[in-house]
Amino acid sequence: MSNVDCLEFLVGAEKELRDVLAASEVAPLLHAAVTAGAHRALVQSGREVLWQWPEDPVVATESPTCLMKALPLWLEGEAVGEVCVEADMTHPAHDALTRMLAAALNTAMNANLKRMLTTEIHTQVVNQSYEELLAANRDLTASEARYRELAEHLEVRVQERTAELEQTWARLLRQEKMAAVGTLAAGMAHEINNPLGFILSNLNTLQKYVGRFVDMLEFFNHRIGACLSADLQDAARNKWRDLRMDYLTEDVAELLPQCISGAQRVKQIIADLRGFAHIDVAETAPVKIAEALARTLAVMKAEIPADARIEQRLVNLPELKGNGALLCQAFMNLIRNAVQARPEGLELTIRGERCADEVCLAFRDNGPGVAADLRSRIFEPFFTTREVGQGIGLGLTVVHEAARAFSGRVEVHDAPGVGAEFVMYLKAGEGGDG
Amino acid sequence: MIEFNPADNKMVLKLVYYGPALSGKTTNLLQLHELLAPEGRGDLMMLDTRDDRTIYFDLLPFFLTAPSGLRIKIKVYTVPGQVRHDSTRKAVLQRADGVAFIADSQLSETGNNVASFENLEKNLALVGLDIASIPLVIQFNKRDLPRVVSEADIDRTWRPTGIPIQMASAVAGAGVLETFSILAARTFMQLDERWRLERDHGLSQEDFLRQLSVRN
Repeated sequence: MSNVDCLEFLVGAEKELRDVLAASEVAPLLHAAVTAGAHRALVQSGREVLWQWPEDPVVATESPTCLMKALPLWLEGEAVGEVCVEADMTHPAHDALTRMLAAALNTAMNANLKRMLTTEIHTQVVNQSYEELLAANRDLTASEARYRELAEHLEVRVQERTAELEQTWARLLRQEKMAAVGTLAAGMAHEINNPLGFILSNLNTLQKYVGRFVDMLEFFNHRIGACLSADLQDAARNKWRDLRMDYLTEDVAELLPQCISGAQRVKQIIADLRGFAHIDVAETAPVKIAEALARTLAVMKAEIPADARIEQRLVNLPELKGNGALLCQAFMNLIRNAVQARPEGLELTIRGERCADEVCLAFRDNGPGVAADLRSRIFEPFFTTREVGQGIGLGLTVVHEAARAFSGRVEVHDAPGVGAEFVMYLKAGEGGDG
Repeated sequence: MIEFNPADNKMVLKLVYYGPALSGKTTNLLQLHELLAPEGRGDLMMLDTRDDRTIYFDLLPFFLTAPSGLRIKIKVYTVPGQVRHDSTRKAVLQRADGVAFIADSQLSETGNNVASFENLEKNLALVGLDIASIPLVIQFNKRDLPRVVSEADIDRTWRPTGIPIQMASAVAGAGVLETFSILAARTFMQLDERWRLERDHGLSQEDFLRQLSVRN
């Protein structure tokens, strides 16, 4: 124990006469001896006089009968000093006086030594117990702190891990979904594009051929018919009328262009789907926002009610760097949410503008809006307010992920008046208008 | 060693009588006090006791002088045996030069002996001493009582340790001086190795033992 507040004792440490006798104990005894007739009384250790009476002996007495008698003082069996009485030793009382003095001092020394040893060992034990208690307390405190930390961290860790798992699951699910859509789109595109190619080509050729058939029929009708006999002319007119050739020639001119335009629409739908899924585009290719939005709307054509009014105000948008398919998916989810929030009479305004180094894309609808207490949760995976089976709660998570993929964020506000406004802030890449 | 003061030419040693409660440590010291002449020893000092049980310690000092003039003081202590006085035992054990372990031979006390010996081992380590190197003697006391562990059993258990064993009946004074002499001899051997008592101070082991055990 190096602590200065702590008294350290070694059991057995040697003691001196001064340690076990106090002046206040010795002085009255020496004084009494002198009062009883001695000339001088003193206690010495070796040659050093520790205490004496009178304190300043003036002259040594020259009497021949005046002698100095010394008796030992014992400490743990060792003579550590002596008590000396200078008196007329022919007087038997003086000898007795000296013995009494020695006995009194030895008794006091012994009693004091015992008391000191007891006190010392008691102090030592108390110190030690205290140290041990402190150590035990330190250990307990440390272990308590460790357990508390463990318990607290455990909860946090469980939460973290749960969140991570949910995110991972959501991402996996989404990736799978995207991949499935992509594969489907790619397969469809391939399978449909080939027959569609010759259908369109043949339709165009057929249109040409049909034109020639019609020309030929007209030629027969007007030039060669007049050369026929009256019977044959009648028969030909009747046949023409029976077969409704006037209507046919008229209608065939409309049928084939309609077929061609239909096939061309199929071709466009496939192209949109491929564009939406970014099948033919390198992942590092710049993303054009207007194009991505247009493709998304094209793909969603069937979902969007006829009475919905979708207004686009895209001003001066730069190209972005990132995953275009993910952005399209995000747009689709935002538009779909708007449609589902307001199945009839939807008015959706999509504004896009550049603010500093960000692109700000706001989707504002006239639906019921998002309740304030739900806003902190709607971007969490699997959070949904819909009925079971109506949605798995990943729509806005994808939007959130997409915004993050473009080093941005997404916020939800109240739209002025009524409805919700989702705003994506995306980091603008370098490049021209998108 | 409590202290060695070359200027003063004085060496103060410490021997400790350790062991379970009521095994006869104080009785050993009382008998030493009885058996040995007052020359060379001081008085037995017993600090406060309760119900005849030591709660602090007992002390019996011995004195001897080497031919070189070196004065050697040996303080022999007992410790309180009761489990609760562990801190006191530790305090007394500090800087011990040798230990006599007083075991109680009664069969019923075997467990206490073992616990106390383990406690000795632990406390020695705590005060920085090594049970393997400190001079040690084991006394099986109370041989006069019935139902004691047999000497053959004791021998079988303890011989492998190499620690000297002494049978005793301290109340009758039997084996007490022998125990003390074995401990003193072993302590001397270790001191001599370290401090060259024989070479530098002309103090032989025989001389050392003779001065310590002058019989009444």
